[in-house]
Amino acid sequence: MAIAISTATLCAAGARADEAGVPAISFSGFGTLGVVRSGEKRADLTAHIIKPNGAGYSRTWSASVDSLLGAQMTAHLTPRLSAVVQVIAEQNYDDSYRPHLEWANVRYELTPELAIRAGRIVLPGFLVSETRKVAYTYPWVRPPPAVYGLVPITNSDGADVSYRLRLGSVAHTIEVTVGDNELKLANDIGTAKAKGSRGITYTTEYGPLTMRATYKRSSVTISAVAALFDSFRQFGQSGNALADKYGSVDKPFIVRGIGATYDPGAWFVTGEWGRVETNSFLGDRSGWYGSGGYRSGKFTTFVTFARARADNLDEPGLDVSALPPSLAAPATGLNASLNSILRNKPVHDTWSVGGRWDFMKNASATLQFDHIRIGPGSTGPLTNIQPDFQTGGQANVFGAAIAFVL
Amino acid sequence: MRAAAPITQPRLSIALGLLLGLSVGSAAAEVVVVVSKNSPVTALTREQVVDIFLGKASRFPDGTRAVPIDHLEGSALRDEFYLKFAVRSPAQVKAHWSKIIFTGRGQPPQEIANAGDMKKVLAENPNAIGYIEQNLVDASVKVLLAQ
Repeated sequence: MAIAISTATLCAAGARADEAGVPAISFSGFGTLGVVRSGEKRADLTAHIIKPNGAGYSRTWSASVDSLLGAQMTAHLTPRLSAVVQVIAEQNYDDSYRPHLEWANVRYELTPELAIRAGRIVLPGFLVSETRKVAYTYPWVRPPPAVYGLVPITNSDGADVSYRLRLGSVAHTIEVTVGDNELKLANDIGTAKAKGSRGITYTTEYGPLTMRATYKRSSVTISAVAALFDSFRQFGQSGNALADKYGSVDKPFIVRGIGATYDPGAWFVTGEWGRVETNSFLGDRSGWYGSGGYRSGKFTTFVTFARARADNLDEPGLDVSALPPSLAAPATGLNASLNSILRNKPVHDTWSVGGRWDFMKNASATLQFDHIRIGPGSTGPLTNIQPDFQTGGQANVFGAAIAFVL
Repeated sequence: MRAAAPITQPRLSIALGLLLGLSVGSAAAEVVVVVSKNSPVTALTREQVVDIFLGKASRFPDGTRAVPIDHLEGSALRDEFYLKFAVRSPAQVKAHWSKIIFTGRGQPPQEIANAGDMKKVLAENPNAIGYIEQNLVDASVKVLLAQ
């Protein structure tokens, strides 16, 4: 009986080897089930500022911050041609969980080193940008917002070319991406459109060391603030100057980043710096983090420090004293509106400690505690700011998540 | 279903050897990295082997394409191989491949069930590279690296 089984297995292996290269479809999935509690009750902590609500003001415990489900289908049409579709269900800008098409592209391998893709493509960038929605692939509950909050978009409609070169034991990968992206903003206030994005990302791997540098330039229009700056333009030269400075119609948006990870297995250290320049009310922002962890069997403990900085947090605006009383009131209102969007920028220092337990072969449980010190005049990483919110405070955030891959 | 074919003497002895080998020393046996005896590759460093199995290198140092073959997820031999050669736990290997799969850049190596299947795949494909218990090494394979 045992002999017969062994013989059958041998034949099965032979058959599989013969079939290598014929069309094959593989399915995979990933997900995070997480809850978050934030001590700051006058604002929400969200995974990103584009989310409509989260933990703190809207809910004491929020499952919307980190929870998501993803499904991916990869079709190997020929040994060189493949197609991939990825769908993700997560909290959307309108608070629905309607699944959206994250990727849909075809990939052609000209050589094992050179591949082109066209369609909706993952956007490379920072070290874990490509898998930022797959929590199973990193030790934290979520990638540090100080850096990953700089760029909210995760995909682009266009094309990319990747070239992989191996010199000795060092692997070099260069990815060049072109495309467009449209992002719907929370509470239906409008969209952010990135047009004509051109980016280059260079990754080098040498044993346990991975380093990455990225540069991307696009032209960004944020329709949500168009009406505000149109109003400023009613106030002559000084209004026009403010609209030109802070408006966001076809403004260059530049992203730079550099990071490195050293992961010999039993421990890891990783650090990253990123900066965006927007020439708009979004200002210039930068962030960095350093994180290290120790692994013992199925357990990982980690500590992270992250710092986010932004400029132009306030603006005197229109000179109200020079205006007749009939115009002074609306001008005061416009100045207040402008300052409310200017202060909504992440300036904070955050310490995080946490632990991960790989309790199943494809699932992990992670606990993370964050202590956030928000900079003066800033709302920090928080959103959905309530009128009684005080800038420059502190917030303690607790997150627990189960992450899995299928 | 070719399994119904009469069992020939060599096949019987391979199967028996396999069963004995597995039962005698599955955990204690040393893991060795092997290719077909017809492969032109003669030696690899630990780093080169790890790069091939983690999808970081698609070719052998001489430029020929490398096709890694893995044992099934959860097998003691596989866990030992990644722990000894890559210093990676099963969860770390899983996380590593998840990164690549969910970037749309690739798929993990083909998996086989046992050393017998491994030798069969290696014999059919001179580009293939795998690992087996040292006491199961025979004339059909060439050992590139021991732990």
